[in-house]
Amino acid sequence: MQFIDIANAEELQITTEAPAEGGGVAASLGINGTLFVFQLINFAIVASIIWFLILKPLTKKMTERQKMIDDSIENSKKIQDTLQRSEQKYQEKIDQAKVEYNKIVEKATGDAEAAVATMKIKSKEEIELLVDQAKRNINIEKTEMMASLKAETSNLIVMALEKILSEKIDAKKDKGMIEEMIRKL
Amino acid sequence: MSQLVLPPLGAETIFHIGHLPVTNTIVNTWVAMVIFLIFGLLLRKRIGLKPGKLQNWCEYFLDLLLGYFDQVTGERKKTLQFLPIVGSVFFFILLSNWLGLLPGTGSILVGHEPLLRPANTDLNLTIAMALVAVVASHVFGFVTVGVFTHLNKFVQFGSLVKSFKKGPIGIFTAIIEFAVGLIEIVSEAAKVVSLSLRLFGNIFAGEVLMTVMLSLVAAIVPTPFMLMELLVGVIQAGVFAMLTIVYMTVASAEPHGAEH
Repeated sequence: MQFIDIANAEELQITTEAPAEGGGVAASLGINGTLFVFQLINFAIVASIIWFLILKPLTKKMTERQKMIDDSIENSKKIQDTLQRSEQKYQEKIDQAKVEYNKIVEKATGDAEAAVATMKIKSKEEIELLVDQAKRNINIEKTEMMASLKAETSNLIVMALEKILSEKIDAKKDKGMIEEMIRKL
Repeated sequence: MSQLVLPPLGAETIFHIGHLPVTNTIVNTWVAMVIFLIFGLLLRKRIGLKPGKLQNWCEYFLDLLLGYFDQVTGERKKTLQFLPIVGSVFFFILLSNWLGLLPGTGSILVGHEPLLRPANTDLNLTIAMALVAVVASHVFGFVTVGVFTHLNKFVQFGSLVKSFKKGPIGIFTAIIEFAVGLIEIVSEAAKVVSLSLRLFGNIFAGEVLMTVMLSLVAAIVPTPFMLMELLVGVIQAGVFAMLTIVYMTVASAEPHGAEH
């Protein structure tokens, strides 16, 4: 930009510099082989600086960050899935445990009832056995007592007979005594 | 009598390095280079997965730009493939254009010539960039669709030979396609010319406009024009970059009827 004092603008004159001598249109536009190569190299250097120092590190970090975010989201989804599966498994185990618990309780109840019934039967049998034994014992004792009574009675009779025989008795007395004895029996 | 000296079409030589002439546009390019270098080193030092303020802003603008490029390429992967060229072109043109608006450009003189001049007012640079863009598009074409498939877009000998089996209509179509292919070669040259002249024309016109405006009224009045030049800088950078990415996308696409 040219800062030019144009306080007295009426005398202003616009000029441009003369184009390069003897170069035709290209030269008049400032196109020059050497300068073109020079600018090409300059642009290559600038482009390298921009790419390697600015754009490449930036895009690399952006890509890394994007990858990290994607990975995190994926991991989060995986964790959520795992958690859901774990919860499902936990629930399945709980349900299974409940089923097993019920089975065990049912089995235990059944076993207990069976044991009670068995014990009842056994107790009944034992009681019946004891009652039979007691009856048998009573019968034996009764028989023994009867035998003992008979023996005692026989002895008594014998003794009574001996006494009678030892005394002098008449027919009347004898008859009376025998009747009494028989009555006592 | 005051003289309003408009900038010439060609860049002015400031000094020589050996036999190499160094123009004021080259100086401007070097300034841009140094700015990018310092910025790049600063950014590289602070870059991390957890971005700071600088990185955050850079990523914001880059993401915005990548979004526009994605609309052309259709996918982020392709955009990132083209980014080394397209991104560099965009940011370099943008900075060069804006550097031309800084005080000192055109007013600091070395001898009788201004030390600084917007880099894109030099056709040598714009042609160099356009050439890089078009050549890079063909390189991507060769790599993506294969050398022969890509060349067949321009010189359709294969289709011409095959057409002899298809009868007169097939031969006629093949001849037309062959001619269209040759026109395509001309259009490739036209791409370089249009890209370079568009950028040069717009920025040079802006430079002339600013020179005239600043010459007429030194303060306040040129401000809207400077704001407009800021906008022109972005638009021209965007146009150049978008056209480059369009050329690259088209070149790396399978030709029509390739599946038959």
